[in-house]
Amino acid sequence: MNRIENTRLSLVSIFLSMASVLILLMMVRIQNNGKYQELSIKNEKEYSFAIENYYPERGNIYDRWGRLLAGNEDVFEVGVLLENVRNPKTIAQILDGVNGLEYFDILKIASQRYDPEKSVYSVLVDFLPSGVIDALSQIYQDYELENPYGRKDTLPSLRGIVWYPHLKRNYPENTLASNVIGFYSFKDRSDGEGYFGVEEYYDDLLAGRPMDTFMPRNPYLLEELPEVPAGASLVLTIDREIQAMVEMKLDEAVEEHQAESATAIILDPRNGEIIAMASQPRINLNQYWQFENQFSKEKPFNQAVGAVYEPGSVFKVLTMAAAFDNGTVDDETIFNDPGRFEYGGSTILNWNRRSFGKQTMQGCMQHSLNVCLAWVATEMGAESFYDYMQAFGIGRRSNIDLGGELVYPMSSPGDSDWYPIQLATNSFGQGVAVNPVQLAAAISAVANDGKMMKPHVLKAVIQNGKQYDTTPQVLSIPIKEETAHTMTEMLVSSLEKESSIALVPGYRIAGKTGTAEIAIAGEYGIELTNASFVGWGPATDPQFLVYVWIEKPKSSPWGSVVAAPVFSSIVQDLVIYLDIPPEQETANQIAIGN
Amino acid sequence: MQAIGLSLIPVVLIAASISIYLVISAQAAAAGLEGMVLHFEEEKILRTIANQRSNLGYITSYSQMQKRAEKMGFESPSVQNIHHMVINGYQGQQPVMIAPPPGENTRPSGIVNSAYQESLSSWIIATFFSDSIAKGISNE
Repeated sequence: MNRIENTRLSLVSIFLSMASVLILLMMVRIQNNGKYQELSIKNEKEYSFAIENYYPERGNIYDRWGRLLAGNEDVFEVGVLLENVRNPKTIAQILDGVNGLEYFDILKIASQRYDPEKSVYSVLVDFLPSGVIDALSQIYQDYELENPYGRKDTLPSLRGIVWYPHLKRNYPENTLASNVIGFYSFKDRSDGEGYFGVEEYYDDLLAGRPMDTFMPRNPYLLEELPEVPAGASLVLTIDREIQAMVEMKLDEAVEEHQAESATAIILDPRNGEIIAMASQPRINLNQYWQFENQFSKEKPFNQAVGAVYEPGSVFKVLTMAAAFDNGTVDDETIFNDPGRFEYGGSTILNWNRRSFGKQTMQGCMQHSLNVCLAWVATEMGAESFYDYMQAFGIGRRSNIDLGGELVYPMSSPGDSDWYPIQLATNSFGQGVAVNPVQLAAAISAVANDGKMMKPHVLKAVIQNGKQYDTTPQVLSIPIKEETAHTMTEMLVSSLEKESSIALVPGYRIAGKTGTAEIAIAGEYGIELTNASFVGWGPATDPQFLVYVWIEKPKSSPWGSVVAAPVFSSIVQDLVIYLDIPPEQETANQIAIGN
Repeated sequence: MQAIGLSLIPVVLIAASISIYLVISAQAAAAGLEGMVLHFEEEKILRTIANQRSNLGYITSYSQMQKRAEKMGFESPSVQNIHHMVINGYQGQQPVMIAPPPGENTRPSGIVNSAYQESLSSWIIATFFSDSIAKGISNE
């Protein structure tokens, strides 16, 4: 290598070295320059992430066999990015009539002036199903082919129109079990909430509320992508088929008896599971905003938990159970019914204003004698009577896991609003107010060997891919096991002896009618009543308890005429759904099995 | 010449470092973007699943099933025309299990074959030495 080449190489190396040093110096300068630092921070802020409204999936609701009662549906919000709009008229023409949108309203929105500070994006319509979006997308592409980027003003263009997907609550069964499910106000996109029923009670668990989340745009921040968990799904104790059957029978009963409304509860007394709970009116949950048209201010969304009323004679089951349990009466006790009972300055009369003569306790229940029950309660004494009622949960929340439970406190001696006559009237279910589920739960203790289980509609929670089953809870043990058996046998016999319409061929059913007079301006009369029936079976191994309440029937005021046939009709179908064979067949099956 | 070569070494090193840095950055960015695309794809799939579940829920809803059953000529039974039979061992309809119970390990084991998780050293030991160790033990 000669000297000249050597010099050239030296110069090149010096140049490269200096260039490298200069690059490094420049990098250091940029890194430490205030102006560039500011620019870097600004870019970081504007382009590396965005705060976006994120919609996690709200948990599903299933019936006890996994049939969907509430789910979610993919829908779209359609809007315009004003900066990109090229032809507002095309947008207005295409969306005219979609979800009630009108041409001039759309034109007004799409024609707004773009202002980076104030108006960038405007919503045109929300909750469009994917089918509409597919069609819109096709038209958009067709126009783009004809008029790329919307450059020609004379040709149509949908430039500027955008759509964003999100989930919307969906109720595939429409009105079915609507009183139990409640609804989620999905139209309030930013602050939707669960109202009534399961949607309200388990709102936090179902979650799925929209939230502002940090969404990175910088690919190096991948790990910071939000992991917003979906809400937990719920499996209810409700059986969809039985629920539908009960709703249908109630609707028929209301029509037949021109009643104001009807309510029914079917529960499993062994664990407190609500198998069906129906009341009127019911709404299509997919159009929940119409509920105000169907429900007056006084009308609860779910009568089974939100209505308190005087239950009438079905309450006698509790009084008689308490009296048997504390030994005030027994199978041998005879009451000579004079037809009237003077107590606390008032007179108690029987339902037909007549006397029934000598009666056993079973006779008292069979003929539903107010006079006899008032005598039984006074024999027990107020303290003991109200202690038992407390144990049965009367006057206290049943704590059922549904929103909107209403209770009415039970007055007892010592309270300013308690008078001695109340001991007599309370004994046959007047002057005391309960909600249907409270009463059904209390009477279920008689059907379940004296144990009162907590009524509930939640069977299992599915969270993070695991199913957590709920455990039945004992609320109290108000009466002894033998008392429960005695009461059940007594009520089976009394139904059979009076050849009640409530009887179900092939099955031994225990039950009691109720006819509660409704006070109008402080006066009780038979014109307006709450007709009811409570029954359970099969008597030897109760697997269901059915409570039926018909409010203000016009065809007949009596529970035995109005509510008992509805009970019988429900139970005749119920035993099929629950796969309960008639008792004779059960005996045969046991024989075959042996 | 040596001096020139030596003076160029830092330049080459810097250039090489920058190239490696750029290549790795580009790969990381590409992977990040791919991850983001997959994330949005996952969201879309979850929405589609929710949608399909709702559609299925509607198709199998009570009213739709009732219509289908009526169309096919099915009738509701009554207590009178039902005959119950004993089927030994039949437990009746079992409670629904939409997801496994807690405590049950649902992660599939062995997605990656154990052969691919083995290090070279453990393979050498297992292949060439385990037999002789075993033989040695048995001889003793």
